[in-house]
Amino acid sequence: MKTSLYLKSLARESRGSRARLAFFAACLSVGVAAIVAVAGLADGLDQGIRSEARRLRAGDLMVAGRQPLPPAARQRLVAQPGLELTETRELATLVAAPPAGGKPGPSVLVELKAVGSGYPFYGRLEVEPARPPGELLAGNDTVLAAPEVLRRLGLRPGDELLVGGEPFRIAGRLVAEPDRIAIGPSVGPRLMTSLAGLERAGLEQFGSRVSYRTLAKLPASGGQGELERLRDELTELLGEGTGWRVESYADALPNLRRGLERLESYLGLVALLSLLLGGVGVAQTTRAWLADRMPAIAVLRCIGMRPREVTTLYLLTAAALGLAGSLVGAAAGLAVLAVLPRLLADLVPAGLLEVWQPAAVARGIGLGLAIAVLFTLGPLDAVRRVPALGVLRRDVEPVLPPRWLRLALAGVVTAGVAAAAIVQSRSLTDGLLFTGGLAVAAGVLTGSALVVIAATGRLGSRAGPIWLRHGLKALGRPGASTVGAAVALGVGVVMVLGVLLVERGLNQELRAELPSGAPTAFFIDIQPAQWPGVGRLLADQGARSIDSVPVVTARLSAIDGTPVAELAAQAEPGEGRWALTREQRLTFLDELPSDNRVVAGSLWGDAATAEASLEQEFASELGVGLGSRLEFDLQGVPVELTVTSLRSVDWRTFGINFFIVAEPGALAGAPYYRLATARLPPAAEAPVQDRLAADYPNVVLLRIRELLEKVAAIFGRLAAAVGWLGGFTVVAGTVILAGAVSASAARRGREIALLKTLGMKRATVAARFAVEYAVVGALAGVIGAAGANLLAWTVLTRGFEVGWSLRPGATAAAVAASTLLAAATAVAAGWRALGQRPLAALKAD
Amino acid sequence: MAQPRIQLRRLSKSFRSGGGTLSVLDGVDLDIAAGESVAVLGPSGSGKSTLLALIAGLDRPDSGEVRIDGRAIERLSEDELALLRRHTIGFVFQSFQLLANMTARENVLLPLELIEAPDAGRRADDLLALVGLADRAEHYPAQLSGGEQQRVALARAFATRPPILLADEPTGNLDRATGERVLAVLGDLRRRFGTTLVLVTHDAAVAALTERRLNLSDGRLVADGARPALSDSVR
Repeated sequence: MKTSLYLKSLARESRGSRARLAFFAACLSVGVAAIVAVAGLADGLDQGIRSEARRLRAGDLMVAGRQPLPPAARQRLVAQPGLELTETRELATLVAAPPAGGKPGPSVLVELKAVGSGYPFYGRLEVEPARPPGELLAGNDTVLAAPEVLRRLGLRPGDELLVGGEPFRIAGRLVAEPDRIAIGPSVGPRLMTSLAGLERAGLEQFGSRVSYRTLAKLPASGGQGELERLRDELTELLGEGTGWRVESYADALPNLRRGLERLESYLGLVALLSLLLGGVGVAQTTRAWLADRMPAIAVLRCIGMRPREVTTLYLLTAAALGLAGSLVGAAAGLAVLAVLPRLLADLVPAGLLEVWQPAAVARGIGLGLAIAVLFTLGPLDAVRRVPALGVLRRDVEPVLPPRWLRLALAGVVTAGVAAAAIVQSRSLTDGLLFTGGLAVAAGVLTGSALVVIAATGRLGSRAGPIWLRHGLKALGRPGASTVGAAVALGVGVVMVLGVLLVERGLNQELRAELPSGAPTAFFIDIQPAQWPGVGRLLADQGARSIDSVPVVTARLSAIDGTPVAELAAQAEPGEGRWALTREQRLTFLDELPSDNRVVAGSLWGDAATAEASLEQEFASELGVGLGSRLEFDLQGVPVELTVTSLRSVDWRTFGINFFIVAEPGALAGAPYYRLATARLPPAAEAPVQDRLAADYPNVVLLRIRELLEKVAAIFGRLAAAVGWLGGFTVVAGTVILAGAVSASAARRGREIALLKTLGMKRATVAARFAVEYAVVGALAGVIGAAGANLLAWTVLTRGFEVGWSLRPGATAAAVAASTLLAAATAVAAGWRALGQRPLAALKAD
Repeated sequence: MAQPRIQLRRLSKSFRSGGGTLSVLDGVDLDIAAGESVAVLGPSGSGKSTLLALIAGLDRPDSGEVRIDGRAIERLSEDELALLRRHTIGFVFQSFQLLANMTARENVLLPLELIEAPDAGRRADDLLALVGLADRAEHYPAQLSGGEQQRVALARAFATRPPILLADEPTGNLDRATGERVLAVLGDLRRRFGTTLVLVTHDAAVAALTERRLNLSDGRLVADGARPALSDSVR
């Protein structure tokens, strides 16, 4: 057969089945839209970050660390001909409005950023009034404040503001800065000053946590190679595992992009799920459609079409429909991308996201087409087996495919799903786990559906109104496509309810009263000499459970004689490397806090050695145990501690806890600051903060409640994204359900006609349909709700280590919604068949 | 004697029915010459349709053989059988079996397209004109009366000018007057193209229009005789 004839036949084939074929396409559209939206968002952000990397970095090269750039590295940079340098320093601090009427003014915790001249090399600071920032920040007594700072303090540009207790003039409003992407939680709004201003504020004391960034701009003539050489030399000079980060703009914020990639792989799998549900719908629709086409296929065979020509024709039809559905889905996905930046306005910097994402569109269409073909292979095999004899004898049944072929087809579909999952998650393990989990879930849903449907079918034989008996019986009829619908809807319920339950559970945990006795506030960066005064202030304001410990910051330099740089180079990026290279905070204590328990070794038992006690999980991340020798670099002084005990810590008490506790005396002479916790009455939080800002401006107060709310808000965002994708699966489930109903509606058109001929009223017939699908919906709802609770329990207790509780309201609502949705869809989809005159349906046979 | 167009040798076919087997054809022997028109008469269930199915390769005999132009079709693959039907055999059915999603013209066009006839469109139009439906070409089967549908089916069956036409109760679903009209068209086309016709029917009046009539009873051809005076409508 010629291609042109295939195409012609394909167009003819679509006639008379348009509604059903539209369902076929719609099943795929939903999933493809989800895939394109997720991949497009990820690709778009990635591209945006890459293309805007210079702006987002504000320079060609960045060196970031926890201390000022060592002179050797600075010299190397200065030696580069034509290179311009500037730097930024960031720290969290309390700032306040000036006192009024003898009372300290209101205060707010801000992220203070001090910038050198020339900053930013790329991009620009958006300020009001629109004057060059260098001009506004000239000298050492002006700041630029984010609108939120002004709002919280009740100040306006031109007013005075206290930073580190020193007065500063607010030179303008800071609307946007090029190198701030707020994707994680931020401690507070931005306040910006000059380096000289920071010096005047006197906030850089020992213990204060300052992020130092040196930014370099190469002359325009300098090539990419020169930049990379410079980066590599500096990396070598500063050393691996020392906490220094050297990045060229071409690296394009690797940490941020890695984070986005991880997020994409999870969301991508959720999107794939709705496409796979669409695949189930495709398989069902195809089966019903081909069942109707059997007589026509027999005629085609009789006229002389070869079996493989017929199969090719229908495969092409499926592919064409898959393509059409995918195109519509891709367009919808792009439409979502177009509105997304507006929804995420505060997360994604304006202009960063390009809507047109050809790679995402190609991936969506490719996967849509692949799933369409994959899920029609099974039903299409029947086409090859339609006997031409069907034209003469109505009772001829298609030959069933042999067992091996059915198994082979199942294998091909599974392999295809696994391949799609691996593409979406970019991980072999995640892709296979996803496929395995899905196979188990589908198996459980199918098994339970079969059992329940058979049982309900038998129930239908008992007494009851005719619509109820017929509705129940219909479930078990041969060829009922209810199992697929139950599976699809059930998976949708698992997704949507599961995400909702996890969100509710976490929110409850976060908003619940803090454990009694747990601190409500942390005070950091207290200089040893300030502690008596700060302690008195807290007591005066009614604080209880006041506790304070000394903190020594250090870097791990070697374990059992092996330099950390060497260990870090071998470690996996992530946990292990993080544990090795982070800035370590140590304390020294005689006795452990009550929420600590020694699980191995003993505390301070050996008088001859300088001992350390490690939190057990941290020890396993470091890869050390009892007897390991840890060498620390304490501000240039080497100190060796031997691990003599391992502890377990109950972190949920919010008490002060450390991964590493040293024996008192082992760190003698080391510079330290104090960290304090207290329980403050809610009404005292603001006065304490204001008083601290006025009297001890270097001390930072972190309010636990506020932090928890920020974490909850971020989780809420993520939950919204997953819930939104879960919504896609529900839509896919509904479409499939409607497809299943309409597919069987045609087959049952005769049955309806007969029932009506025999005197059944339309409402009764509708009720009979509603009952049948209500059972499917309820079944999917119950099993889906059980699955959702299992999912929520796993995520909450294993992932977040918080409690799970049954939420009868949400669970019952999900079951009810699923039931109603299914029943309503059934009646809606069967409407035409219900309205048809019986004669038309009877004659059509 | 020239090579018979259709040869059946000791053709047997039985079906499982309930507990036992029902022998439908039991050693049928038959030669049909090129251009001959033959009616197979018999009551319903006598195996007439099975005989047609075996001749067309739609089903396989239990034993015996079918030869079309001297070529045994038993060992042909499904694909080869499809090609045989495409080029050699036309069909007319009691229930018309038009493709519901194609217009009258497209139904006639399809077999021509399958053999990649260069002037398919013109030939389809000519055939529709021959069966008197030129003005109904763009109608779908559901928009045509039974007689019109069967005439479209005739146009489709003759489209590729197959040497053999198999007709299964072609007037079974039509009233007498319409049936006669359809038979007249069938006879006209058959004469025009010199087609060999095998027609199965339970209606002696329909059978009377052929040159030769066979009676199928209990799986055997029990009577075989030419009628001296023939109506000219089919011949």
